[in-house]
Amino acid sequence: MTSVQVVAAVAVLAVPFLGADRYLLKVLTFVGVNTLIVLGLALLFGYAGQVSLGHAAFFGIGAYTSAYLSSALGLPWLVAVAAAVGLTACAGWAVAVPGLRLKGHYLAMATLGFNEIMSVAFVEARRFTGGNDGLGGVPFPSIGPYELDTPASLYLLVWGVALVALVGAANIVKSRPGRAMRALHCTEPGASACGIDVSSVKVRAFTLSAALAGLAGSLYAHTVGFISPTTFGLDLSILLVAAVVLGGRESLAGPVVAMAALTLLQYLGALVPGLSRQAAEAVQDWVPDIVGLTVVGVLIARSRGFRLRGRRGVPERGGQG
Amino acid sequence: MSTADLLQFVASGLQNGAIYALMALGFTLVFASTGVINFAQGEFFMLGGMLVAAEVAAGVPLGLAVAGAVAATAAVGALIERFALRPARASGALTLIIITIGCSMLLKSAARHLFGPDERAVPAFSEGEPVAVAGAMVQRQVLWVVGLTLLAAVALTVLYRWTKLGLAMRACSVSHDAARIVGIDTARVVMASFALAGALGALAGAVVAPVTQTAYDVGARMGLKGFAAAVLGGLGDPVGAIVGGVVLGLLESGAVAFVSGTYKDAVALVVLLLVLVLRPQGIVGRHLGEKL
Repeated sequence: MTSVQVVAAVAVLAVPFLGADRYLLKVLTFVGVNTLIVLGLALLFGYAGQVSLGHAAFFGIGAYTSAYLSSALGLPWLVAVAAAVGLTACAGWAVAVPGLRLKGHYLAMATLGFNEIMSVAFVEARRFTGGNDGLGGVPFPSIGPYELDTPASLYLLVWGVALVALVGAANIVKSRPGRAMRALHCTEPGASACGIDVSSVKVRAFTLSAALAGLAGSLYAHTVGFISPTTFGLDLSILLVAAVVLGGRESLAGPVVAMAALTLLQYLGALVPGLSRQAAEAVQDWVPDIVGLTVVGVLIARSRGFRLRGRRGVPERGGQG
Repeated sequence: MSTADLLQFVASGLQNGAIYALMALGFTLVFASTGVINFAQGEFFMLGGMLVAAEVAAGVPLGLAVAGAVAATAAVGALIERFALRPARASGALTLIIITIGCSMLLKSAARHLFGPDERAVPAFSEGEPVAVAGAMVQRQVLWVVGLTLLAAVALTVLYRWTKLGLAMRACSVSHDAARIVGIDTARVVMASFALAGALGALAGAVVAPVTQTAYDVGARMGLKGFAAAVLGGLGDPVGAIVGGVVLGLLESGAVAFVSGTYKDAVALVVLLLVLVLRPQGIVGRHLGEKL
């Protein structure tokens, strides 16, 4: 880690001690949760080039598993987290293996379909999910007698996990699996000619990426205590892909920063102290427009050769002739 | 289950199937001439319903309102092609698809700003009691849905087979370069197929709105189902799109009739995943010769 990264990490962990109010801490905790999800997607989409429009569903599977196990069955927190991550990883694997046959836009559509199926399931499997009313009373994270029930401790937990995941992802990217992922993003035949097992890399990237989303889901459920199906819909999946697109290919920091910005945009009222309620709501109302315009604008600008910073890799092949 | 019950399910399957067929045609036309899957297709459906609802509320006669909604959405489709996709044409298919996702966010949000977040109702195209067809009671609007879909299919066949534009569209679906060599203005053809996709989507949205109501957020799910129908029939094949739509509609109402209605919305999506993985060329399509 460079000194800049250490300073950034210390700064992030110091926030609760600087007298931030409860609401702001909560919002920043959501940013931490979203950082975890987008990190997985950055590995999968930004590095390995495999698009997923179903990450909100993995996030939801993690959240519902953890919530159900700890509130309905009364299992300890750590067990619930482990089960959530395990189950989401299995779900990721189960989507990735048949998904190997699909490329580009077909994979996008298939994962989108998966997200919609899970959205239906979250609403209809009332016995486990509470249907549209959601699932409440999820206990705070606790190990033995120690319970994390203050906004500051929850913030530290979520960001602690997110920072560990960031360091782990940065290591993956720099090492052999990361190079394999970049290689198959550039050219699949080339990658297999170099002896890379393309299918295996894809499946592992997908599984890891889903597991990270599941971990984020579990943390989210125990942090807010109440979950409902609308959180895990297409909108979030699309927002995540938008963050990776805006953050740039082959970058971890880019998507994380972009996702943080997109998340904070929705809670502008918490960030700018003097902002009136009306102004904050107006901004919130226009978030999809801002995101949509930015995505379209940035992609058009990039395809016309505009680069914010140098980027390796060959240009993609033309699709529209 | 009596014959009348069975016919009831067939009728509702045909109604949904016709809508899916229109949506699938929209996907297929754009895919055939550009190789792009247009994520905004579902929003065209939404715009059709919402525009008719808004126009009727403003006092426009229903027939005129439907025509207006179809025309306006066709224009939206053309504008998206001209100002969002054409400038980025040099990039890969995935980039273009994400641009259409951005456009669909914009359309959905614009509809919420313009028409509000509430569900909107549209009056039925013709008043009156349901009609008895072989013992099953069929709502009059269902006849409109099926009839207008047939009409659109016939019109599209005429366009595709016997007009210069249709010939140019077929040429573009084979090869853009070759089409340009023989003097076809491919940019215009691509724009026309987006406009047509907009018109088809809007027609579907307008004609089904009296039965289902409409809202600013109905686009995404309908888009996916329409895409499922297009894939089921073989993407890029207009006849397949119609077959796929009808089959999907019947499958869905069959699942409701014989299994349960709880997971009705998941049926089409499961079909989509199965077809993508097991038979990506669709039920009537030829082998594509390349991996997807």
